[in-house]
Amino acid sequence: MITALELGLIYAIVALGVYLTFRILNFPDLTVDGSFTSGAATAAILIVNGVDPFLASGAAFVVGTLAGLVTGLLHTKGNINGLLAGILTMIGLYSINLRIMGGANIPLLGEDTTISLLRQFAGSGWSSVLVLVAVALVFKIIIDWFLHTDAGLALQATGDNEQMIRSFAVSTDRMKITGLMLSNGLVGLAGAVVAQHQGFADIGMGIGLILVGLASVIVGQAIFGTRVVIQATMAVVLGAVIYRLAIQLALNAGLNPNDMKLMSAILVIAALLLPQWDGFRKFAARRRRGRSALHAAAEATLTEDANINGKRVS
Amino acid sequence: MLNVTNVSKTFFPGTVNERKALIDVNLRLSPGDFVTVIGSNGAGKSTVLNTVAGRISQDEGVVALDGRDVSKLKEHQRAAQVGRVFQDPMAGTSPNLTIEENLSLADKRGRRRGLGLGVNRAKRERFAEALKVLELGLEDRLKTKVGLLSGGQRQALSLLMATFSQPKILLLDEHTAALDPQRAELVTRLTRKVVEEQGLTTLMVTHNMVQALEVGNRLIMMHEGRIILDVSEEEKSKLTPEDLLAEFGKIKGAALDDKTLLQ
Ligand SMILES: Nc1ncnc2c1ncn2[C@@H]1O[C@H](COP(=O)(O)OP(=O)(O)OP(=O)(O)O)[C@@H](O)[C@H]1O
Ligand SMILES: [Mg+2]
Repeated sequence: MITALELGLIYAIVALGVYLTFRILNFPDLTVDGSFTSGAATAAILIVNGVDPFLASGAAFVVGTLAGLVTGLLHTKGNINGLLAGILTMIGLYSINLRIMGGANIPLLGEDTTISLLRQFAGSGWSSVLVLVAVALVFKIIIDWFLHTDAGLALQATGDNEQMIRSFAVSTDRMKITGLMLSNGLVGLAGAVVAQHQGFADIGMGIGLILVGLASVIVGQAIFGTRVVIQATMAVVLGAVIYRLAIQLALNAGLNPNDMKLMSAILVIAALLLPQWDGFRKFAARRRRGRSALHAAAEATLTEDANINGKRVS
Repeated sequence: MLNVTNVSKTFFPGTVNERKALIDVNLRLSPGDFVTVIGSNGAGKSTVLNTVAGRISQDEGVVALDGRDVSKLKEHQRAAQVGRVFQDPMAGTSPNLTIEENLSLADKRGRRRGLGLGVNRAKRERFAEALKVLELGLEDRLKTKVGLLSGGQRQALSLLMATFSQPKILLLDEHTAALDPQRAELVTRLTRKVVEEQGLTTLMVTHNMVQALEVGNRLIMMHEGRIILDVSEEEKSKLTPEDLLAEFGKIKGAALDDKTLLQ
């Protein structure tokens, strides 16, 4: 249980990264499957070579941003479809990650890691969970702040109405690259911390990560809402924790860890299909009618707009 | 202020779909000129505006803004000096951002967008002050998402945003066409007001003959990719919508398109 909570809080950083691309930029970025492992590999190889684990984790962030940069350049300057650009980087990173690690696996047992320092400092009970809560919240608040700066608003507008923000002298290419770099930096950092938490880096640890991120974002936002940015990011963090707890429950119920990829896929499919199902829509409408009429009208306009623009089906 | 010299543009050249959208177009606007642009559907009006803004790159010719050749600049690079309002009220604003955030985006046009807060108290006061000009009460709804506004409200806001940081040239493409008559009237009034106050050099496309004659100090008519009529302020004041329709008829020699007749 505590392990699941801890992992959920670490994966919240992945979810924040995926939120930036998938929700803010409207860009389903598959690079994360590769950049997560790149972050883990980078941190692991540095740590076994005696580098300070915090510095090693910082390096993982930087390597992640580079992966995002490649995808961003392929998409914007190379005019390659976004999904394909992400897949290309992801596949290429597989070989690069093997090169970084010099093998398929690097054990970190006995090394000084950020997590071993956490254990020294806060043990392995609730106090270490609290530390990780604080860490996740710090990242959430940084993202909240960034999205409200001039640069962050331009990033939001790039995902919202690209033509419009270009007519206000913003290079949407540059904004997309920035978003992808930031997102993959966060994912790389999370990969580094996950490796330190589980005690090894592994070439396969990023496989299917995009689904973990998407599930966290979609489930969290379905439950906790997306009205304003600070609410949306909180929902994403909580979504990551809930996802991890759900996985833990499934494991406790006797499912095999290898079944988890299928579970994630089914969860995301359900989250995407459910809102299209008539019964669910009626239910949502009834819930909406319960609130004030004005509120409902406002929401109706929003969905209408979302349809017209063909984006943001939140 | 704006110099369009020998500009031509052909879409899908060398195919069965070839369309000569602009044929050797020349247009010269002095600072403060407010030019209305009329012409039938497909005449090339939007294409002229798009080549000035850089959304479409011309095949031949030069576009110069304020004496500087901008032909090679990308749309977002030219946008520092070009304000635009589109026909679609959805097009000029960011629906998921609030009114004040949209204004903040407009406010930073052509300046570095760094890590300062997009909206702070001082800016909020300034934005509220600017919104009062619209007389729509939007100054009391700064934190409302723009997606919740009506088409007319959004278009008025788009106009304010397009002119917020004093562009060198303002491009309006049938920006009142999608609004009901009252809202269209309001947005037209606001347009005249802001163009006059800031002395903006403006190109305004319209299908409304009356509006084309009432507004601005010059009128041009386009047909099949060419400017076929250029009327100065003095001549314009003597023209009637009927004269314009007759002019259309003369050129086309055939029936006018419905949209024009209906005006
Ligand atoms: N992006 C484009 N791709 C291909 N053809 C285009 C494009 N934009 C315009 N055209 C063609 O160029 C010609 C001129 O179009 P334009 O949109 O400039 O006309 P317009 O005068 O604005 O007409 P309307 O009054 O209908 O808006 C038309 O034949 C149109 O089909
Ligand atoms: Mg047009």
